[in-house]
Amino acid sequence: MVSMLVYYVLNPLFILAVSPLFIGIIKKGKAMAQGRTGAPVWQPYLHLRKLFRKEIIYSNNASFIMRLSPYLNMAFMIAAATLVPVIFLPPEGSVATNIILFVYLMVSARFFMALAGLDAGSSFGGMGSSREMSLSAIAEPVTIITCAAVAFALDTTGIAQMFARTLAGSLLDFPTLLLAGVSLFIILIIETSRMPVDNPETHLELTMVHEAMVLEQSGPNLALMEISHGVKQTLLMALLINLLFPLGIAGDFDAAGIALGAISFIIKGSILSVAIAIFESSLAKIRFFRLPSFFMVALFFSFITIVFELLF
Amino acid sequence: MNTTLLAISLAIVAAAGILALLRLFQPHAAWRRLSLLLLLAGLLAVIAAVIPVLSQDLHQHIPLYRISGPLVIDFYLDRLAAFFILIISVVSICVALYSLGYIEHHIEPKRRQWLLALMAFFILAMIAVVASGNYFTLIISWEIMSLSSFFLVILEREQAENRKAGIYYLVMTQFSTLFLLFSCLTVYHSTGTMDITTSLPANALSVTLLGFLVGFGTKAGLMPLHKWLPYAHSAAPSNVSALMSGVMLKTAIYGITRIMLNLAVIPLWWGIVLLALGTASAVLGVIYALKEHDLKKLLAYHSIENIGIIVIGLGLYTIFNRYGFEVLAVMSLAGALFHSLNHALFKSLLFMSAGNVINATRSRNIEHMGGLVKRMPVTAVTFLIGAAAISALPPLNGFASEILLFQSYLGAFQIPSLFVAVGVFASLAAFALMSALAAACFVKAFGITFLAMPRSAEAALAQEAGWSMTTAPAILAVLCIAAGTGSAWFFKWMGMELPVPDMLPVSFMILTVISILAVFMRLLKAPVRKSETWNCGFTTITSRTEYTASGFSEPIITIFSPIFRTQKMLWRNFADVTGAIIRGGRAEIKTLQFFEERIYLPLARLALNIGRRISAWQNGDLDNFVMYAFIAIAASILLAGWWL
Repeated sequence: MVSMLVYYVLNPLFILAVSPLFIGIIKKGKAMAQGRTGAPVWQPYLHLRKLFRKEIIYSNNASFIMRLSPYLNMAFMIAAATLVPVIFLPPEGSVATNIILFVYLMVSARFFMALAGLDAGSSFGGMGSSREMSLSAIAEPVTIITCAAVAFALDTTGIAQMFARTLAGSLLDFPTLLLAGVSLFIILIIETSRMPVDNPETHLELTMVHEAMVLEQSGPNLALMEISHGVKQTLLMALLINLLFPLGIAGDFDAAGIALGAISFIIKGSILSVAIAIFESSLAKIRFFRLPSFFMVALFFSFITIVFELLF
Repeated sequence: MNTTLLAISLAIVAAAGILALLRLFQPHAAWRRLSLLLLLAGLLAVIAAVIPVLSQDLHQHIPLYRISGPLVIDFYLDRLAAFFILIISVVSICVALYSLGYIEHHIEPKRRQWLLALMAFFILAMIAVVASGNYFTLIISWEIMSLSSFFLVILEREQAENRKAGIYYLVMTQFSTLFLLFSCLTVYHSTGTMDITTSLPANALSVTLLGFLVGFGTKAGLMPLHKWLPYAHSAAPSNVSALMSGVMLKTAIYGITRIMLNLAVIPLWWGIVLLALGTASAVLGVIYALKEHDLKKLLAYHSIENIGIIVIGLGLYTIFNRYGFEVLAVMSLAGALFHSLNHALFKSLLFMSAGNVINATRSRNIEHMGGLVKRMPVTAVTFLIGAAAISALPPLNGFASEILLFQSYLGAFQIPSLFVAVGVFASLAAFALMSALAAACFVKAFGITFLAMPRSAEAALAQEAGWSMTTAPAILAVLCIAAGTGSAWFFKWMGMELPVPDMLPVSFMILTVISILAVFMRLLKAPVRKSETWNCGFTTITSRTEYTASGFSEPIITIFSPIFRTQKMLWRNFADVTGAIIRGGRAEIKTLQFFEERIYLPLARLALNIGRRISAWQNGDLDNFVMYAFIAIAASILLAGWWL
């Protein structure tokens, strides 16, 4: 009971705390790849602090959707954060961590973000919403089929139980997870609006997707939007990390294990962030209507995983 | 006890209809209100009567009147029937409440009476369909249901569009009855009984089953028999659309489910056919909805999508049942039935809210709306809840039923046949696509209709609907939330242990985070300012610069253009040497109405041609007719002699 409560509080808080760090590492990595020095890795924290001190500006056209969407986004992402254990596994059966629920909490957050994009009446926001919903729609089969592949390999739909099984076994016991890992990485790239799907650095209407949607958000509201985006990235990273390299995550509930779990997750997350930075830097953005073929590659991978699993 | 209460309450519903008819020539608002209140009271009593049946294992025949031999008007009550009666009554109550305001809005007084009377008989017929005890009663009530809804569709018959929709609907609905009649007769022929719960024999089953599938599938709007649905739903008054889409389609689902449960051994092909048809309806339904800018047609296409989801559940049930996976089979069936309830709730909610919007803006085209969230706040909030529910956002009810199906899908690994297993996973990919596209479509529907600036003068002057027209959707919105968050509790009450996540902790978590954030932001005391939307340095933005519905769905339409069969045609101008145009040119982009132009119309033309050939025989010549009569009599004598 105590461990369950601690899990519900500690897990989201830890994810909240480390999310900006990973964003910072990716930015730093990309800067270095481009031959720049780049801002320090803790710059996102300073940026958020700055945003929380600014004023909120609402458009004259904006309705309650604009005012509510940052809260809803945060709420859905924090609820999703309770479904992905990162530092210690809750006792078996105490917390329902359904992977489909996890996916649909992300869909909910996106739904309200897209509505907020339309709320101000600016065509930038509409453009962003339209593109984001289109991309996410064609990416959804990849996500679900990958979830199905993982669920089959580990014979459970609970994320915590999945992690418990990968922790108990080794990657050799679940070879198809490696294939699913490729799809999960592509999903991570798509969901966090990164190259080659979206360019997170730009504010140019021709290229942007996600940034266009949050263009009208300001001050603390924008900060909440950015935090929830960071949380989403961390959650997907955690899913990938703990499925493939679960080493370090605490199986039991004790202080030393939790501390170790936290440290090991930060290390593994930083390594993955560097990998994302290198991946992003080595690719050019794909033209919007070429993206479906890129998604098809991912869908192909996840389907291959399923077929392998069915055959062997 | 229950049956007495049920009979009395149904009599009250009938009385409501008769009262409306009695006052046909002296229409008066007070009498209409009385009649609607009677309807409300009757339906409430129906709910009180059927709720106890839900948790009992009751199988009760209620014979009413024997006409002759096997032709008995007979009703039957068990959990399945009670569940569907519950769906019909809950939605109809809200529609009756909604009609208190809606009915006074449009049409001339005499037609209001007609609308009221037909609506009451329509509701009664739907209840009779799902409570039918034998095929005879089923067909009779089915026809009453079809005809009353046909007259409701052509209520506003001045517009040619509505008349076309009505005829379309009538033809399709009779087509459906024809197939049902055929199958019912084959069942009677092979079993010797009309009882609706007779388990069907294995011999000569395929034709019977296909007949039921075509008959019920047409009514449910399964692809490729769906085409009447968008026409009829948009032609009917909004309260009737809510009834037709919310509950009439469910009577067909009831029919399919009842037939399936009667089979001792459900053949595998039946499951595969249902899964394939369901998947096609779900995906194509939502893809066509994305293109649609007529708010009611958009919702109608979503009905096709949701019927697809339900049929997918029934298909999965068959497949899992065939391979002996009890838990997965029960979960799929529960998903299908629960989604029937949920779709009834949110779709009638959406149609009623859409009715308010259409009343206020005098247009069904969402490109002429916009900014309504400020002028119609209650309608906006209810529509938003409905939109979120139909987009399967947790913790609302749409997700609560879709996750049952997802969980069943994920169990498909155990299917021994590789072919079937891969097929089920392909269907899962399509299901995921459909669900994400639905979310995109409702971002469009809500965003363009309610957000940003008004796009027309009517939208700028729109006013919130009256109390009854906002209360009814609000009740349904509350039910949507309750059915979602309380889904685990609901299954437990129904006596089912299903391995799906409880929505309560998630809802609790979401509420907690929102309240913590609200307190946090209050403490932060960030200054708030209202200003213009940034528009690249231009002074003000107008509704002309807003993103449009066509713009919003353009990327998806381009990606799926092979499905839409978008045809881009371009004719050039031809000029002579001096540059004068000698032949004009034009460019045209149009989407092929695939089902209509490639399936329906060729069939209709074929029928017409055959008819023309036959009518050549009917030349008005008496000698010929006498000869026909002679041949017919001679043939029947010969045939009778040969057979007997």
